[in-house]
Amino acid sequence: MIVAAAVCPSPPLLIPELTGARQVATELRSACQASVAELTATAPEVIALVGAAERTRTWNGAATFDFARYAPRLGSGAAPRLGSGAAPRLSAGDGQAPDPGPAGLPSALGVGNWLLDQAGCQIVRVLQSVAQDEAPARCADIGARLAASRGRVGLLVMADGSARRGLKAPGYLDGRSTGFDAEVERAVRTGRLEALLSADPALAHELMATGRPAWQVLAGALRGRKVSSEVRYRDDPFGVAYLVASLRV
Amino acid sequence: MQHDALPSAGTPQSAGTPQSLLRLGQHSFGPRQLLVMAIVNRTPDSFFRPGDTWDEPAAMERVHQVVAEGAHIVDIGGVPAAPGQDVDVPQEIGRTAGFIAAVRAAYPDLVISSDTWRHEVAREACAAGADLINDSWGGWDAALPEVAAEFGAGLVCSHAGGQAPRTRPFRVSYPDVVADVLAHTGKLAARAVEAGVDPERIVVDAAHDFGKNTWHSLEVTRRLAELTATGWPVLVSVSNKDFIGETLDVPLPDRLAGTLATTSICAWQGARIFRAHHVLQTRQALDMVSAIRGDQPPARAVRGLA
Repeated sequence: MIVAAAVCPSPPLLIPELTGARQVATELRSACQASVAELTATAPEVIALVGAAERTRTWNGAATFDFARYAPRLGSGAAPRLGSGAAPRLSAGDGQAPDPGPAGLPSALGVGNWLLDQAGCQIVRVLQSVAQDEAPARCADIGARLAASRGRVGLLVMADGSARRGLKAPGYLDGRSTGFDAEVERAVRTGRLEALLSADPALAHELMATGRPAWQVLAGALRGRKVSSEVRYRDDPFGVAYLVASLRV
Repeated sequence: MQHDALPSAGTPQSAGTPQSLLRLGQHSFGPRQLLVMAIVNRTPDSFFRPGDTWDEPAAMERVHQVVAEGAHIVDIGGVPAAPGQDVDVPQEIGRTAGFIAAVRAAYPDLVISSDTWRHEVAREACAAGADLINDSWGGWDAALPEVAAEFGAGLVCSHAGGQAPRTRPFRVSYPDVVADVLAHTGKLAARAVEAGVDPERIVVDAAHDFGKNTWHSLEVTRRLAELTATGWPVLVSVSNKDFIGETLDVPLPDRLAGTLATTSICAWQGARIFRAHHVLQTRQALDMVSAIRGDQPPARAVRGLA
């Protein structure tokens, strides 16, 4: 059963080592840290970390994302290796083979791990990626399964809105992005999460809204539960919609 | 992130003595820190913007500006390198010593260099607060090291092909110009150590254009790693010089791009001090080199990371 959930975006720029000498996105990072802190403070048995990726699978607890993929210097010499937090992690035990490589974790889960590591979180983690093209009903099923896996499950959902929110946005401007992201925000803000299940995968793909499957996992995990929420951040400073929220059940 | 501790992968590795700490004034600089030495001429007739800082207020204004633009060192000189109107010892002292004292009073921590080949001038400069004697004329005056030692100052040991101060090269040739640079600067550095100059305050300079034609200066630039491999901190003074003008066939006002290209090539090969007219642009070129080498992070990186 889900005891609490946190929603955070997963831009690599949350990791300060990736953005150079000057501080970037401090407000966003603080909001993410606050939502993760509230989540871990509910003392769940496990944290289920969910993020969209190439394919749907659970990940071995030893899996890490190598941030040197974004900044090669980070991989060499004395620089700290990121995403290798010491917290214990479990696979969900769904029979899949453990990940062969230690550094194969998807980026969104790597950023989630980083947030949990930063919070000093020692709670066992379940790492779940969801394919970018996973059907909404399948996403909801994955959420329901995660919710049922333990008595007290904390859910950390790494999900990003459209990356087409302006002329300087990574995907250039698509006017439909505003409405799409507003729908997502409304669902999260009001706690009426089932509305997330109607987000169209094809439209989300066109809008580069990579968080769509993860939001639908959230909706499935909390289906039928009464949810109140606090939106801690909503903005698109780099042309990508970021939404940070704490969900209380 | 511990950028300073990163290995130097990607930089041409010169087999040789590693670069060590450099001390200038009260400061210590690590081997991978790139320093700009800003040129401040107290002359009416230097080659680049002649007379620009001949007046003391203009010269002090220039100091304020170069400090704001990121210079670690100001190099104050009273005699042009080129031949011309004679400037005797008292005149040179009159042009520089008092001004050095004024800069020292305004900037207690700034590294001040005295651009002179004469020990009498160097003595007054050091007494007024100079931290470094920049002798571009290759040790023509053998008494310079004793002055540096006496004041605890640093010394730049350069190669001018044995030419007298303020003379132009005339049909100069070398069997191997870089070998000559290595031999001469090595000899001067050893002599300075012998005279009691702090080894951590000794710098070497191949002295582009001094006793060299354009081919020689290009060769010295191409093979600068051989000089940095000696372990002595290397200063390069290439700003707007004739070898750049001849290489690009451009007049003085159009030599900045060539200067910055040369600066970058020298930095990549391990030079540590860059004597410059254009401080801001030189600082930016060097910051770019430092970031490419991985010695310092970009100021702000968000492209592709949002």
